[in-house]
Amino acid sequence: MRILSILQAEVVKSHQHNFHNKLIYFSLLIWPALLFVTAYYSFKPFNLSSSSQLSKYMDVNQITMYLLTGYMCYIYFWSLVQSAWNMSYERQAGTLELIFLTPVPRLTVMFARAAGNMLEAVWLFTAFTLLVLLTTGHAGEIHWWNVPVAFILLSISAIVWGGFLNIVFLFSRDAGILFTIFEEPMQFFSGVRIPVLAFPLWGKIIAFFFPLTYVLEIFRDLVLNGKGLVELGEQSFILFCVLALLCTASVFLLKKAEIHAKETGNMVLF
Amino acid sequence: MWLPFSATFQRNYLVMKRAFPWSFFLGHILSGFYIIIFAYLSYFFVFKKDLSSSFSTYAGTNDYLSYVILGGLLYSFSVSLLMIASRALITELREGTLESLLLTPSSRKGYFLGYVAQGLMRVCVEFAVITSAGYFFGLHLHHINWPGVLSVLVILVAATFSQALVLGSFMLYFRDTYITQNTLFVMMGLVCSITFPASFLPDGLRWIGNIMPLTYGVDALRMVWIEGKPLVETIQLLWKMIILGLVYFPIGSFLIKRMEKYVLEKHFG
Repeated sequence: MRILSILQAEVVKSHQHNFHNKLIYFSLLIWPALLFVTAYYSFKPFNLSSSSQLSKYMDVNQITMYLLTGYMCYIYFWSLVQSAWNMSYERQAGTLELIFLTPVPRLTVMFARAAGNMLEAVWLFTAFTLLVLLTTGHAGEIHWWNVPVAFILLSISAIVWGGFLNIVFLFSRDAGILFTIFEEPMQFFSGVRIPVLAFPLWGKIIAFFFPLTYVLEIFRDLVLNGKGLVELGEQSFILFCVLALLCTASVFLLKKAEIHAKETGNMVLF
Repeated sequence: MWLPFSATFQRNYLVMKRAFPWSFFLGHILSGFYIIIFAYLSYFFVFKKDLSSSFSTYAGTNDYLSYVILGGLLYSFSVSLLMIASRALITELREGTLESLLLTPSSRKGYFLGYVAQGLMRVCVEFAVITSAGYFFGLHLHHINWPGVLSVLVILVAATFSQALVLGSFMLYFRDTYITQNTLFVMMGLVCSITFPASFLPDGLRWIGNIMPLTYGVDALRMVWIEGKPLVETIQLLWKMIILGLVYFPIGSFLIKRMEKYVLEKHFG
């Protein structure tokens, strides 16, 4: 009950903060849609016939579906980088201090903030994805009975990732640079646009550090290839380990930073 | 005009030395660099140099890597320049110096030229960094028609500057830079032949590229850089850029003047 009320408060806050201005629809819908179209056409200079080199890694006819699922999952993760980036404004504006003065559990606030911001940021592009599916006639290629499981998995992973980022951004002085580091590398190293399997070793190592890589692999297998969760046991286990690691790191960082804050009266750890 | 030019130039030079947000600088370099690295990965590792036959027809060259690297280079060049010129007045507004600027009888032309001239110093450094990064990923640096490259860049700078005036007035109207500028930049990435020839696009989208100076600039640059062609062969593209510049300039100057009044009425006592 308590968690729900915190979640509700965060959703309301995020809504009032972002939706007062109609321009928000550009960043929620127009940009991701344009990026998706650009990614689609970036494939065009290459040989995409059945003899294509790409067919080693994926079905060439599925490129639209591949990119569409890729970008949708990317938006879930990316929206949380953005929300964590806004954390620094909350610190500057003093609302963070007010929240920390109330008796709410810190960890719950951080994860509820991620969940609230995610709900606010992804509904539009998810609807857009459905619309594209229906209008382009690809809807038949989707394994619909796996869709709810896939979305639950995606949302949970994104929230854990978002909570972790919130905590990192919360205690660091200049987080703007993370924005530059995460935006595009996350797009191509975690397999949003091209399959990770095709990368050279150094590319795979970079991919290894983005939780999105693991989520995308499972998401596509569930939704596009119709595999069951049992078949994906190994991958799911790896994802579970990654999420557990992120959770532990979050708890640890938050404790450390709070002790630091109590000693020095200063929220800045890094 | 000379006095506001040199005053603005000197002020911005000091700002750059002492308090410039260097993350912008890094961000521009990285945005070009990411385009390059993505092209490199897809060309060598995903598609193993297997191009479609329509690419060389549309692009006029078979050198995919140089094509995309020059695209990324000029995209980041254009984005930097647009940001510098269009954010000038709104930065004054945010920092609280717009009122004093408007009170002085200084020429706005000198002010903008000083702003851009100083910004070009930074843009040139970015250009050099991305070019050398591109060299390691397969951009070739021989048989280049250097005077041709220079002329294309000069015309592109002038046309982009006119476009930035229009963008700047939109920014003043919405009192926003983040959404306005990035919408334009994402759009430019799609329609201006950056990572693929715009001819692949459906007609409905392609016409948007026709009103961007960058589309012509990047094609002209590729002709003189990759193929080392003489400038005469690009003359048609250059004319299109000049005409776009001549169209944007009066619209931009008019809108900026209007917006100065609008901002003054709306946001000052």
